[in-house]
Amino acid sequence: MPLMYYLGLSAFMFTIGILGVLLRRNPLVVFMALELMFNAANLAFVAFAAFHKVLDGEIFVFFVITTAAAEVAIGLALIIAIFRTKHSVDIDQMSELKG
Amino acid sequence: MVASTLPVEYIRALLPEIGLLVLAGLVLGLDLFSSEVSRQRWLGWVVAAGSLGIAGLSLAFAYPVASPRLLWGGALRLDEVGFVFRMLFLAGVGLTALFAMQVKDLAGKGEFFALLLFSALGFSLMASAADMVMLFLAIETASIPLYVLAGFYLRDIRSAEAGLKYVLFGAVASATLLYGLSLLYGMGGTTRLYDLEAALRQAQAPLEMVAVALFLVLVGFGFKVAAVPFHFWAPDVYEGAPTPVTGYLSTASKAAGFAVLLRFLIGVFAEQTAFWTLLIGILATASMLVGNYLALVQSNAKRLLAYSSIAQAGYILIGVAAGTPLGATGAVYYLIAYLVTNLAAFGILTVVEQVLGSSDLKALEGLQQRSAPLALAMLAALLSLGGIPPFAGFIAKLLVFGSAVEAGQIWLAFVGVFNSIIALYYYLVVLRTIYRFTPGVEPISEIKPAWRLALGICVVGIVLIGVWIAPWYSWAGSVARVLWVY
Amino acid sequence: MGHEMLNAWLYIGLFTLVAAALPAIAIFLAGLLSPRKPNPIKDATYECGVETVGPAWTQLRVQYYLFALAFLIFDVESVLLFPWAVAYQQLPLFAIVEAIIFLAILVGGLFYAWRKGALNWQ
Repeated sequence: MPLMYYLGLSAFMFTIGILGVLLRRNPLVVFMALELMFNAANLAFVAFAAFHKVLDGEIFVFFVITTAAAEVAIGLALIIAIFRTKHSVDIDQMSELKG
Repeated sequence: MVASTLPVEYIRALLPEIGLLVLAGLVLGLDLFSSEVSRQRWLGWVVAAGSLGIAGLSLAFAYPVASPRLLWGGALRLDEVGFVFRMLFLAGVGLTALFAMQVKDLAGKGEFFALLLFSALGFSLMASAADMVMLFLAIETASIPLYVLAGFYLRDIRSAEAGLKYVLFGAVASATLLYGLSLLYGMGGTTRLYDLEAALRQAQAPLEMVAVALFLVLVGFGFKVAAVPFHFWAPDVYEGAPTPVTGYLSTASKAAGFAVLLRFLIGVFAEQTAFWTLLIGILATASMLVGNYLALVQSNAKRLLAYSSIAQAGYILIGVAAGTPLGATGAVYYLIAYLVTNLAAFGILTVVEQVLGSSDLKALEGLQQRSAPLALAMLAALLSLGGIPPFAGFIAKLLVFGSAVEAGQIWLAFVGVFNSIIALYYYLVVLRTIYRFTPGVEPISEIKPAWRLALGICVVGIVLIGVWIAPWYSWAGSVARVLWVY
Repeated sequence: MGHEMLNAWLYIGLFTLVAAALPAIAIFLAGLLSPRKPNPIKDATYECGVETVGPAWTQLRVQYYLFALAFLIFDVESVLLFPWAVAYQQLPLFAIVEAIIFLAILVGGLFYAWRKGALNWQ
């Protein structure tokens, strides 16, 4: 299959991810959209690695998967902390910091 | 593949990182196996002394003598960029530990100091990374502990919110950076930064694709240095995070961002210099204008310094935008000066916040009567931020504006000078609050020894860097020189 | 794009259509043919034959999430062991040592979490 298909899909995923991050108000959904962005990049890496026949890109993907999981774990932990005090996690209500 | 016997050179290239890892392990061990009381008393000193020791060891053994070398399978480059920036991060981590160890809720927390050290480890690797994989991992190693540090006061809703905002924006920035890196990898077929430039040229990568990749990568780095328009997270995170963390974020994290920015732009996008100098020039202008304009209307000291630090990123970007060795020298010199200056400012805020329980500008009223040395330190810090001689900020500003003129970007130098004048206004307003006589304020009874030491180092640094220019200039110059050696 | 490839895509397209159509037809026919006599007992939520208690959207204890987070990290880190395991036969000694160091770091993390009491069910 031509490389362009994969890149098209990856660009499409990245765009959905960006839109999700910008438009959704629930941080859990925002994190899902973020995963979509990371995976768009992963898909591009794998496709390029197959195209160039060098493995670097695929190795990169392993590392990206783990760091993305670590990032999300921190985010979820903070969401739990906020939920415990506020009983809501809507991003629009996070207005303690303003000015 | 790494050879099974390790030459000394390989260890030397990683010496500060190994030191930081050992120190972090030690701190975590102390956290598990020592009493709360002794931790509160000693943990900060252990971290500060440890980072001083690592800095000494690196000075003695890890100074790059030969021309730049790629080590560890091309993942790291042993050169002056890595070296000078590592010294900067070690200074930052040591001073931050001194400030944090007298803060009630941070002092006994081993994980706080361990996270601080882990993020410094990430910064060090960022500064010497020469491979995309290493670069990305280093950025994440630095960022993930910082997310936790920003939200460290979990019970304080403002801190937790700051942490969550930082994670969200940070993750978006690193995903965008990653997508840009994937495009570069696709066009060049290599993850090595120093092979990428030639590979892009050889593959005749289409210009618009390179421009898209450059833009995506800039989003990632722009977030790290908090340049407009990627600055939205900065004021909220700076205000909500524990004050010593804010100081660390605004200095070390920014410096690390600039280290990778300089290496990447000069090393990878050499062909497109005309394009990115313009782009960075626009970012610089926007950062200075937005940062200074919004700083004028703040009533919280932490927020004011947050916007001021966005504007400072703008001045440093002027040096980057010059795209010349003099510009890079100026940017690095600025970062050195800025580190001690801003750490001093946030350190004083830490003290005030601990004693008075507030970081509003109102809390600074009559600081002169509360403690004259503290007020004097703030005077040095704010005047240095404003670029007044004989303090460090003056030479730094002189260098970046001079480089803009030398590179033929007189408009940028003009915008910079204009903004410095606006900035001076609000720094002076803060100073007036501090020095105006206010009836009924009580003197601060005792400033803790760790604070005195850290503030002393910062103030001496501010004056020294502003007066005795040669050593710092030669360090910054060596960084700039080696950036153009491929 | 070659002729053969077009054929392959055609098969996938057909397959998707059939796959979507079969359950749709089944559900439609069932709705058409089955008798409809609702009563309250029939409409009640089915939960293993036991009567349901309370609403389905209950709040779980926060410990579940903390365990889930710890699990998530350790689970995903094992991704890094996967390529190592695949190439195990041809690896030099150094790679084995590296993997052991990696595992030691993970065990260190687990030890830290345990000593800190993060694994206690309060």
